[in-house]
Amino acid sequence: MSGKEKLIKGSWFVVRSGFVVNRFFLVALAIGLLLSWIFPAQFAALLISPNSGIDVRAEMTGLRLLMLIGIAMSVATDRLFVALVQIIASARAGDPFISANARRLQTIGCALLALQLIDIPSALLERFFPSLSSGAPDFPFSPGGWLAVLMVFVLSRVFAVGSIMRDELEGTV
Amino acid sequence: MPILIRLGEVLERRHMSLTELSEAVDITLANLSILKTGKARAVRFSTLEAICKTLDCQPGDILVRSDDSED
Repeated sequence: MSGKEKLIKGSWFVVRSGFVVNRFFLVALAIGLLLSWIFPAQFAALLISPNSGIDVRAEMTGLRLLMLIGIAMSVATDRLFVALVQIIASARAGDPFISANARRLQTIGCALLALQLIDIPSALLERFFPSLSSGAPDFPFSPGGWLAVLMVFVLSRVFAVGSIMRDELEGTV
Repeated sequence: MPILIRLGEVLERRHMSLTELSEAVDITLANLSILKTGKARAVRFSTLEAICKTLDCQPGDILVRSDDSED
């Protein structure tokens, strides 16, 4: 097995593992959110100490919002992983320069954009529910993240044009 | 398509098979077959030059514009 093949196989394993972990995280969050409505008292007792002087009802709202944000992040990450697994599978099959991969890259771009935008409600949550700050995702302005979004969209366009050029060349003798 | 390929006729006049041409011009038999049957979407100048050189003909002997053009 060549170095490139090992890299592709390794990437596939990492992405596939990430995909499974993320799905598990998504299900856990959905169950957690559901339980917070079915057993609100027990749920609050587990997370907030009774004499801390915190408004339990407000914090529960914050916690539910936090879980909703987590679900949104997990769904975006899931879309990203699905597209990435398919791209790696096409690379393993030896034919990655296809129009389907251009569409998959666009999906990845949209997922990354969604993840960047989710930072905004995360920051608002941290501001309005400061006691959840340790649980809420950080909101540092990330130029790298926005650059990655831009780069993936550009790459998707490059793939789309490249696959059209390749199709044209296929009929050339 | 308004452009027709006359490779078959030229080969016949030269008493040459497609396999022999393939060996002479170093182009795969599959690609030459695509060209001969008119299924090719484009022809490289280098391919045309190699074929014309081997068959001692002009590009116009191989590529002919049909009168019943679709344009």
